Amino acid sequence: MEFNRRSFIATTAQTLGAGWLALNWPAIAAAADHAHLARRSSKPPSLAILNTEMARDVDAMCAQIIPTDDTPGAREAGAVYFVDRALGGFYAAHRAEFTADYAEFTAAVAKRFPGVRFADLAADRQIEHLQSVEESRFFGSVRFLTILGLLALPRYGGNRDEIGWKLIGFNDAHAFNPPFGYYDRDYPGFVPYDANSAS
Amino acid sequence: MSGRKFEDSHPVDFVIVGSGASGGVLARELSQSGFDVVVLEQGPRLSAADFKHDELDYWYANGLINDPVKNPQTFRKDPAAKAERVIDVPSLMYARMVGGSSVHFTANYWRFHEIDFHERSVLGEISGTGFADWPIDYAELEPYYTKVEWEVGVSGLAGASPFDPPRSKPYPMPPLPVKSSGVLLERGARKLGLHPFPAPMAIASQPFRGRPGCAHCGFCQGFGCEVMAKSSSLVTMIPEAEATGRCEVRAQSYVFEVRTGKHGRATGVAYFDRDKREHFQKARAVILAANGAETARLLLNSANARFSDGLGNSSGLVGKYLMFNCGGDVGAVFEHELNEYKSVQVTRLVHDFYESDPKRGFYGGGGIDGRLGPAPAGWALSSAPPKPSWGAGFKATLRDFPKSMIAECHTTSLAVESNSVSIDPQLKDAWGVPAMRATYRDHPDDLAIAKFLQGHAQQILDAAGAKKSWILPTVDNTVGVHLLGTCRMGNDPKSSVVDRYHRSHDVANLFLCDGSSFVTSGRGQPTMTIQALAFRAADHIARFARNNEI
Repeated sequence: MEFNRRSFIATTAQTLGAGWLALNWPAIAAAADHAHLARRSSKPPSLAILNTEMARDVDAMCAQIIPTDDTPGAREAGAVYFVDRALGGFYAAHRAEFTADYAEFTAAVAKRFPGVRFADLAADRQIEHLQSVEESRFFGSVRFLTILGLLALPRYGGNRDEIGWKLIGFNDAHAFNPPFGYYDRDYPGFVPYDANSAS
Repeated sequence: MSGRKFEDSHPVDFVIVGSGASGGVLARELSQSGFDVVVLEQGPRLSAADFKHDELDYWYANGLINDPVKNPQTFRKDPAAKAERVIDVPSLMYARMVGGSSVHFTANYWRFHEIDFHERSVLGEISGTGFADWPIDYAELEPYYTKVEWEVGVSGLAGASPFDPPRSKPYPMPPLPVKSSGVLLERGARKLGLHPFPAPMAIASQPFRGRPGCAHCGFCQGFGCEVMAKSSSLVTMIPEAEATGRCEVRAQSYVFEVRTGKHGRATGVAYFDRDKREHFQKARAVILAANGAETARLLLNSANARFSDGLGNSSGLVGKYLMFNCGGDVGAVFEHELNEYKSVQVTRLVHDFYESDPKRGFYGGGGIDGRLGPAPAGWALSSAPPKPSWGAGFKATLRDFPKSMIAECHTTSLAVESNSVSIDPQLKDAWGVPAMRATYRDHPDDLAIAKFLQGHAQQILDAAGAKKSWILPTVDNTVGVHLLGTCRMGNDPKSSVVDRYHRSHDVANLFLCDGSSFVTSGRGQPTMTIQALAFRAADHIARFARNNEI
């Protein structure tokens, strides 16, 4: 859904009433604008930190961490582009360690599967290898960044087309009304306790 | 932004360091009482329109908090060990902006109970700890709790909890609409014979004092409220202070030293402005409300010839007895959608385990609430079932997001002398000011009560019909967002830093009022008490000033 200031205000006015909106709208509109900007893909994806080999391996790891089945996974969400941006951004303090850990990772792959890169292994071999390193710092970092690359705002390079939010069922709106879920729909109201009930 | 401007060289009645939960209240109360006040805040001034639903920035890139790059810290568990610099997350965490942590907090507003103030007398000594009574009691603080509820703005239902202490007035606003997590927590707890009740929250459930009611956007915990419904100092106390025409709030003004004169009285504070230019703000009295970490650090960094161990530190206790509050989470998934990403975090609460019970074999107590926690990435990273952590099974787990919640347990921390804020011997921050060092290890009883409550929380979720529930690992705390106890209040200058009115035992015109004043930790939601203390302190400080007793 196109989610701009005008459509947001129109929708909100219907559900919340004019009085509420009058009191709120400057802040709400600003918030919706942020959201709108955040959704716009900034540039066609490109890599700044990861070289091609590294990007292929990391992308293959992302694709095993949150795989593609009948719905898109971390690969389609562009998690590898998020990882690339993160290593030059909020995760930059870990960049040297990430690079060193990656070298260790590829060395272990080469030992186990001589002459084949991780990205080129069959899926079951990739899974087998990741199982053997799932307690490692490198796997932990890639997993951490993959999840953020799936679920952070699209402006950071991942969560393309809000694939991550659609997968988990999250709606980044700026206002909701009760009932919020199944269980609060028919809540009868809070029943007070007897004066002596806590004895 | 209204408000008066003062010259540095003009000695104001009060300079207040920090504009958060306590600094905001003190500024508003003292300026409304007719005093000239300058508030110095190290962080920037943001407004509701600046806040975003940006989980990466606020939770992982430290967008609103003290940044370990510019505001570095070191951490160690053991006081004999060398502290290591922290990289990702500060160990002593606070929101660094006008309004302080009241801007990004979750807004749980529990009053302390009567027992919190005299628990030591009831339970006796706990060896190896500084467990002590407060010098004030609940009755003395009650009017100020009421003041917080009515003037800052708290939503809740008076009399709903059979464990609540006496109150002089109901809440000014009804509780926020119950969420599915609240319904389920209540259902499970009632089945077990417990007494869940609507959670008091410092979030407007309806228009209140010129602010709108909550829009239920779901981004409270760790975020700034984009509709001004969360009752932060930024949108409540600070604008009211400025409206008096007697208060100036100076953002990006980083105080690094409290200076004293010939007679050992404070003369004002030295600070850097946004361009790192040094200034000195003269004042008749200095109030530190910089939070339980920064207040202690500032005193220690203000050591001089007369006060060689740090200002106001004749007891040697400045920075010591740091308490974080312990706690732990339990996750659960239900059959139908809860959609917990909507609205405020907490709508129902259980206080049946609030009090310590010697029969358990360890000290402690706390509360259990129902919520989602930070989301969506935070849920996937920290609250989802720990296994499977990747692959097809993990993807299936992620699809349960709308059907998931957690129960969060909030518990006590014992005051342990070696848990502390001190000055790192080497590290300096981006302004060249000696950085803070945290030393912290949970007391074994803190971890025991957290695990005890997690067990009960899981029973509650199971009784509510969870398809699956899981206890999330309780680990030693290395990060604290509740910064408590580092300048404890007491009657004896040998065993406390401030007196019952928050006045330094050593420097007559220096007051310390924030989480640092706490003697015990409470049960995990300290801000309500920080603000009640600030309202009470302001009353007394204004009286002292009027009577020429400062």
